[in-house]
Amino acid sequence: MKSFLKYALGVLAVLLGTCTNAHALMFKWSPEVDPSLAISAFTLLAGSLAVLKIRRKK
Amino acid sequence: MNSDRSSAEISRLHSITSIFLPRHLLGRLYLFGALMAFEFVFFFFGRGQFPGHLEIFGVTTDQYGQIPLFAYLVFLGFGHSVWKAQKESVPLGRIFFGIHLLCMAAVLSITLTTQKGQGWPFLDSFGYIKSFLYFVGTILLALACVPPRSWIRAIRSSGRLWLYSSIAGVAGWFLGSFIRLLWTATSNAQSGIMQTGTLYAVRAILSVFLSNVVINPVSFTIGTPRSLVTIAAGCSGVEGIGLVLFFTSVWLWYYRKEYRFPHALLLIPCALGCIWLLNIVRLCALILIMNVCSSEEAGSGFHAVAGWISFIVVALIFSRATQRLLWMRKVPPAASCASGVPHSVGVETLPGASEQLREERGESPAIRAYLVPFLAILAAAFVSKAASGSFEWLYALRFFAAAITLWYFWPRLKSLDWRFGWFGPVAGVAVFLAWMAPAWFQHQPAVSPLGQALAALSPTTRWTWIAFRVAAAVVTVPIAEELAFRGYLARRFISREFDAVSFSSLTLLSICLSSAVFGLEHMKNLMDWQHLLLGTLAGLAFSAALRWRGRMGDAVAAHAVSNLLLAAWVLGFGDWAQW
Repeated sequence: MKSFLKYALGVLAVLLGTCTNAHALMFKWSPEVDPSLAISAFTLLAGSLAVLKIRRKK
Repeated sequence: MNSDRSSAEISRLHSITSIFLPRHLLGRLYLFGALMAFEFVFFFFGRGQFPGHLEIFGVTTDQYGQIPLFAYLVFLGFGHSVWKAQKESVPLGRIFFGIHLLCMAAVLSITLTTQKGQGWPFLDSFGYIKSFLYFVGTILLALACVPPRSWIRAIRSSGRLWLYSSIAGVAGWFLGSFIRLLWTATSNAQSGIMQTGTLYAVRAILSVFLSNVVINPVSFTIGTPRSLVTIAAGCSGVEGIGLVLFFTSVWLWYYRKEYRFPHALLLIPCALGCIWLLNIVRLCALILIMNVCSSEEAGSGFHAVAGWISFIVVALIFSRATQRLLWMRKVPPAASCASGVPHSVGVETLPGASEQLREERGESPAIRAYLVPFLAILAAAFVSKAASGSFEWLYALRFFAAAITLWYFWPRLKSLDWRFGWFGPVAGVAVFLAWMAPAWFQHQPAVSPLGQALAALSPTTRWTWIAFRVAAAVVTVPIAEELAFRGYLARRFISREFDAVSFSSLTLLSICLSSAVFGLEHMKNLMDWQHLLLGTLAGLAFSAALRWRGRMGDAVAAHAVSNLLLAAWVLGFGDWAQW
């Protein structure tokens, strides 16, 4: 019974999620969110963090 | 006999899939999550409204959709350490994956058909067929990435994690619905608290500088008679708070062994407070700029960029704080030794050094020379765009930022082989032809505001701007991008000691991954698959030029030639949309 509930719950969760994704409404970006800017920003942040993580010795 | 055949088949499959796919259980679970997320984004952004939600307990399924996504995230996060020890290879379900692709193709075709206003032939007006196909496709994807036996093993080995994850998913859904009221203004008097707080905080700061501040708490409008802005839900600071919350949580989780808890958690609300305050400062600055310039267009660049600059600043300060604040670290950071000493020289070559020197996990010091010029261009672009409207009149900043950093690091970079042969320029011509092929077949240049903005300038200003634009495209950008993507990233995928990897020994995987990131950088919007593909192809060509004789000069020559030809095309045919 416990095993059945476990997998039934999993199937129900996937069912709910997929139904949502299959029919989700068109997403609306905020006006200041430009995806190309976002890519540049994440690249700048990741690069800066990599440079700041230069190895030290002790 | 059968046993030999099956083992040979498995080993052959592993030799193919192990190049690109993780082999072990943990990696496959992450792969399933990543593919599911990718398909979610792909379908989510490409669709219009379409009916078909099921109704369960009186609530339509779009209200429940966050539960499984959040639950799987929790399931992965907390099960990571359990499954990490399981090193048994997991076979890939190719047939399941093939059927999964067919299901998703059917979902896409139904979507496109209905978006064009054509009727779906099976009279499925409620979209149940589409729901069913998406559901089956996702189940098959799960089985393709992780076979049923491995799923059962993963669930059993993690005890009651499946239950806790499910509870967390429901709790996240419940809290999410409640917390959303903080920034969404509804008829409920308790809602929109963040919008209201931001509105009055902006007024308090503006009142210091201006005497004629106008405010309307009902429509969340604030400004002066010359410049009014509406603080929408997104402008209340919630997007920045969400980004910072995600970044700080992932950071502390990734470096969890270095920090003391709960001490380190105190930094999260500090970072959230900082980003909220910076958003208020951003709104004040926007209103002041628009008030001075009497133009909404003047503040458009600042409006778009300032939020990202704030996020980057807060994230960098947070990362430095977690390294500098000793009270939240388990092991105090070591005093830095003199930089510039190659990492690989240290421990092994100095007698007794292994007892005195312990190297921390981190990047090679050589990263600065390879990455900083490219980062300087990105940073200059943010500053330039923030100071501009629709036309980036400060573009020369990008050129100077790259030129100065390249000059600074030149003593280190001059040891690279900058010579080039015939292959580099030929690759550059090929990239240019591929890049221009879509525009060539369209026969007419796309309309671009850049041409109109340049035409409005005086001849001297116009040609000065064009001169810096061409100089950047042909000189500084090729050098900086080749150092970053081919010199650093492609080799970093092979080894942390990337400067010890020769350019001739780049692997197929490292070339493909670095080229894909290069393609991402050239996307103009989230659905710009054309430039993603062309950028990736360009990255592959430049990588081939680099690997040909192991010379950085060949890759730079290829990149410079393609950019030069593109500049000639733009100036010759007035096709400004290509810039």
